[in-house]
Amino acid sequence: MMEFLEMMFEPLQEVFAKFNAFLPNLLAMLVILAVGIVFARMLRKLLLKFLTTVGFDSWSDRMGFTTLLRKGDLWMKPAAVLASLVFWLLIILTLMVGLSALDVDAIDELVGQFFNYLPRMFSAAVILLLGYVVASFISRAVLITAANGGHHYAKLFAEAVRALLMLMILAMVMEQLQIATNIVLAAFSILFGGIVIALAIAFGVGGIGTARRIIEKEFADDSPDKEPDDIEHL
Amino acid sequence: MSDFYQTGIITTLHQLGKPSLERLESELLGFSKTRPIALVLPALYSEFEGPAMPGIVQELSKVKYLSEVVLALDQASEDDFKRVREFMAPIQADVKIIHNKGKRIGEVYETLKRNGLDAGPQGKGRSAWMAYGYVLARGKSDVIALHDCDIVTYSRELLARLCYPIANPNLNYAFCKGYYSRVTSKMNGRVTRLLVTPLVRSLQQLTGQHGFLDFLDSFRYSLAGEFSMSADMARINRIPSDWGLEVGSLAEVYRNYSPRRVCQVDIATTYEHKHQQLSADDAEKGLMKMAVDICKSIFRTLASDGAVFSEGLFRSLIVTYLRQAEDTLMKYEADAMINGLAFDRHEEAKAVEAFTRAIAMAAQMFVENPMGNPLIPNWNRVTAAIPDIFEMLRLAVEEDNK
Repeated sequence: MMEFLEMMFEPLQEVFAKFNAFLPNLLAMLVILAVGIVFARMLRKLLLKFLTTVGFDSWSDRMGFTTLLRKGDLWMKPAAVLASLVFWLLIILTLMVGLSALDVDAIDELVGQFFNYLPRMFSAAVILLLGYVVASFISRAVLITAANGGHHYAKLFAEAVRALLMLMILAMVMEQLQIATNIVLAAFSILFGGIVIALAIAFGVGGIGTARRIIEKEFADDSPDKEPDDIEHL
Repeated sequence: MSDFYQTGIITTLHQLGKPSLERLESELLGFSKTRPIALVLPALYSEFEGPAMPGIVQELSKVKYLSEVVLALDQASEDDFKRVREFMAPIQADVKIIHNKGKRIGEVYETLKRNGLDAGPQGKGRSAWMAYGYVLARGKSDVIALHDCDIVTYSRELLARLCYPIANPNLNYAFCKGYYSRVTSKMNGRVTRLLVTPLVRSLQQLTGQHGFLDFLDSFRYSLAGEFSMSADMARINRIPSDWGLEVGSLAEVYRNYSPRRVCQVDIATTYEHKHQQLSADDAEKGLMKMAVDICKSIFRTLASDGAVFSEGLFRSLIVTYLRQAEDTLMKYEADAMINGLAFDRHEEAKAVEAFTRAIAMAAQMFVENPMGNPLIPNWNRVTAAIPDIFEMLRLAVEEDNK
């Protein structure tokens, strides 16, 4: 009878012993999560105050970031969006650190992969941000130049330049994030190359007459058997 | 039948004979191909529960020459907004509703505010300004017409006559104000009859000939809320956010355009709308508030044009106004008698007394703070400060109307 009872309780004791060993890890994770959430909330509040004080919202309005948010149907203040972004990033980090405190091999591996991927996410965000600013700047410059040059399609032209640049920047971002790299590269090469070839053909065919006139004029001017005129040029 | 006498320095387009509405509308349809017309309607939700709005929508549903109708809706919840969308559905033109209390438009106002471009408190001025912004953002229309949403006697002839002078490219007008007789069984329009006209004439008497006073005196009904203008004007004119809206807007028209490009048109034989209480004892509401704001707007416009207001001038003004108003009152009494209209001489005299107090109050406020409430900035300045504001506004309205 005693043997039978021992057989029954032994696994339970083992589970209890394992749980006892696991409990400090679990508590550590819960403490890390609680502290992380409190810290993230405090940081969000402080960041929001700081961004409001330095006029981040007005700067975003002028730089076009606010409109970018609105295009995504996000109708919060830019400072609140950035603060929320930082908050959720911290929550994810806290969660990862908390999970690693559990000391489970599979989770550790996952957390390791996440932290290895973090620099890529950061550089992708920087490329996107800088790329958007540069694309907006170039597009606006094209708009002003084309409008001042009296071109009717100035806005269309500027938007096309912006779209092409954004296409290039998105391809760079995807490549940085290593999302379907080969497909993105192939799609980008085909699309971008196609557009450039289309433009080259359009300009080439359209400009045949002009090119011929320029070349003929050049050759006519440089012709050695051209008779010199009597007028003395200054 | 109206006479054909031309008054003042602007053109008056009378209603002579019985002009055909079909002809007007057919011509407008032709003009709208090259000069598309937008109709702006500033409205409160409560007006959709009143007697006027069903009639207005019914009439507008027969109009074919409008390219877009922009309704700037105030004091409406999300559910009210949905009801208004259904209410406006019979109109053939492209209808867009600016939900002023909505989350997205609220953010647009917030964006303006944090960039030092406050659109002022809720009201007709702010609503109209926002609606102009949306029309400019879409870039679909060259002509903007505006009328109130409390007109009980509305007919589409009013709209056609209002749009015609600006839509017709052969006429070269940039701004057109509507006028009409405010007569039912008695004469209405007390603020125009007993305040604005006598005040303007008193100021002319005291300060001599002044371009703006001549301009203002040329309008048969300067406080009429109905007008049309070229879209370019909406880009450069500033707008007052208080009751000085009509006078302040005329001051901006005077400042930016030659009177030769301004006209007024007879748009209705009868006109009836919501009446305001006089509130003679409270300068913060009713006609008294309106009177004070109008007086301040006139003083400010004249001062900005170089007129000097001293304490002595204000004292004389009050006495001169009282005499002018009393003389005017007698003229209207005679007019009422010959036409068999009811005329309460005592009530009219009480209104004159209240308006005299309003002038004194406005004078005091002007002396204490000559700048007053700043006008809502023009859209050119707004786009200079926030280059993408039109895009933002367009997105907000289009998302709301999805």
